[in-house]
Amino acid sequence: MNAREIERALAAADPLGREAVERLDFEAMEGDLLADAEDDPAAAPYDPRRARRRPPRLVLAGAALTVAAAIAAAVVLVGTGSDRSSRAYGAELIRFAESTPLLLLEGPGWRVQNVYETKTREGTSGQMEFVTGKPIPYWSTRSTGNIEEGQRIYGLPPLSVLERRVELRWRSLQEESLADAILNRRGYLHAHGRHFIRLPVLDTTAFVDTRSEIYLNRGGPHEREVAAVWAEGGDLIELQGWVPSLEAFEERLGWVTKVDSSTWLDAMPAKVVKAADFEGTAREMLQGVTVPKTFSISRIPNEGLTTSREQVAGKVMNTVACLWMRQWGDAMRTGDAAAQAEAERAMAGSRHWPVLVRESKEPRAAVPEIWQIADEMPQGYWDFRGHHRDLLAHAEGLGCARLGLPLKPEKQRRQREHGVPPPPD
Amino acid sequence: MGPGQVEMEALGQEMAQARFARLYREEGRAILAYALRRVDDPEDAADVVAETFLVAWRRLGEVPLGGGARLWLYGVARLTLANLHRAERRRTRLGRRLAETLRTELSTHAAPAGEAAEVLRAIGELGEDDRELLLLVSWEGLAPSEAARVLGISALAARSRLHRARRRLRHLMEEREMEGLG
Repeated sequence: MNAREIERALAAADPLGREAVERLDFEAMEGDLLADAEDDPAAAPYDPRRARRRPPRLVLAGAALTVAAAIAAAVVLVGTGSDRSSRAYGAELIRFAESTPLLLLEGPGWRVQNVYETKTREGTSGQMEFVTGKPIPYWSTRSTGNIEEGQRIYGLPPLSVLERRVELRWRSLQEESLADAILNRRGYLHAHGRHFIRLPVLDTTAFVDTRSEIYLNRGGPHEREVAAVWAEGGDLIELQGWVPSLEAFEERLGWVTKVDSSTWLDAMPAKVVKAADFEGTAREMLQGVTVPKTFSISRIPNEGLTTSREQVAGKVMNTVACLWMRQWGDAMRTGDAAAQAEAERAMAGSRHWPVLVRESKEPRAAVPEIWQIADEMPQGYWDFRGHHRDLLAHAEGLGCARLGLPLKPEKQRRQREHGVPPPPD
Repeated sequence: MGPGQVEMEALGQEMAQARFARLYREEGRAILAYALRRVDDPEDAADVVAETFLVAWRRLGEVPLGGGARLWLYGVARLTLANLHRAERRRTRLGRRLAETLRTELSTHAAPAGEAAEVLRAIGELGEDDRELLLLVSWEGLAPSEAARVLGISALAARSRLHRARRRLRHLMEEREMEGLG
């Protein structure tokens, strides 16, 4: 047996096929390794825990806040601990609440500012805003650039405001699986590099995109947008926030708490409309609104959601507008000039609908869509950069089909044939 | 610590993590293959990989740049293997995840048979240092000078030992062949 034969025999005795290891998805395990590294008790070259121990930049202010936060936490626990679940909610309301993931961010001084929920084919999807300090108003942004070369965003509030807000979003796992969500996050354009880790949340581990800023002009060593995704029950959960450091995000993630439905409903601020209050709220919003003969309160679909006043307002106003647009469309087709004129007058009067007036006065608010449509009704078409477009098709954008009130004849026919409103978009 | 230093530290940490992640992506499979070839239970290999990379994280400043990184990691993996005691198994997240992946996806860790089994038996009779040198060259595909760096010996010593190890292995195999004929 010569040296070459020895080498050949040795190679043949290799117990491992090279391709066996090549096939393994090592990248998928990268987050686990980085989480291990961060949890490693031995000193690391740039130990995140060392940064965590770093005193805050404003030492006195930080210390005072901590004390205040501790007192606030104690008050919350003592003050509400005993009667948290004592408030009686109807079984139906409890059932509706239970269609949400029932998560709260129980950080000292943090509260729910708003909730949005939508019915989807797969269940419900929604988002909750948690804030601390003063209420944070809505903002509108504009961006420049393109996805390939990167974009810049303008109009975001200052970082001191962004950091007081955390958003919790959920949607059915049937809509997007956790694996897909992770894959999608990995695929985003990351303006400041990709860095993913795993962090514990509740009784599972979240995949954390530690640099989820997609805009070139946002993000820096102390300005980062971080997002965590994980699965909870049948939902995909996403927690997103602007934080000065990864440790701050880890702290916020640690505040996520699973609660019972009564506690969850108790945490809703007055401006959030619970399913049981839906009709009363809708009636209030209809004050000063001219409604068509075809309108009744039951026309506004109550999907049993816990949601923001703005969302309820949108549903109420759009239901009325869709009914007027249906009358207008039918009148145009049948040549009923009186009905057409009545619809145009009513829609023009939307300039005085209190809810829309308030909405239009929000900082940086856009002109309400209903007003834009009303303005185009007398000419009979939607003017899109000099092109005449079907105004009914445009008005469908109010969500008329979703409200069970499709405007276009073909959509109405489909509704008649199927006997039920088309499924949500 | 001034804001500049804070930023530098944050940047340094980002860079360290980025380098560490790249090291894992580029060398993780090689280290796993190394470990799998030397353990009976693939789950032990998972722990070896996890532990090796944790050591790399702690001592990232010492990990050579370029091709030397893999040799350095082999050296750590070798020591980790030597210290591997099942009773003291340390289950990291990566170790758990990799073990699970290996359980479900790796089906080629079958017991060798025929001549391969004979070769493995003969290898088992070599001294530990000679055996490791031979396998690093044959299975990991290292040049003798590279295997020398893993083992912390000179290139000259590696070549000499390699020659001796091959001669010894040939002798052992010929002995077995004779026994078989007898």
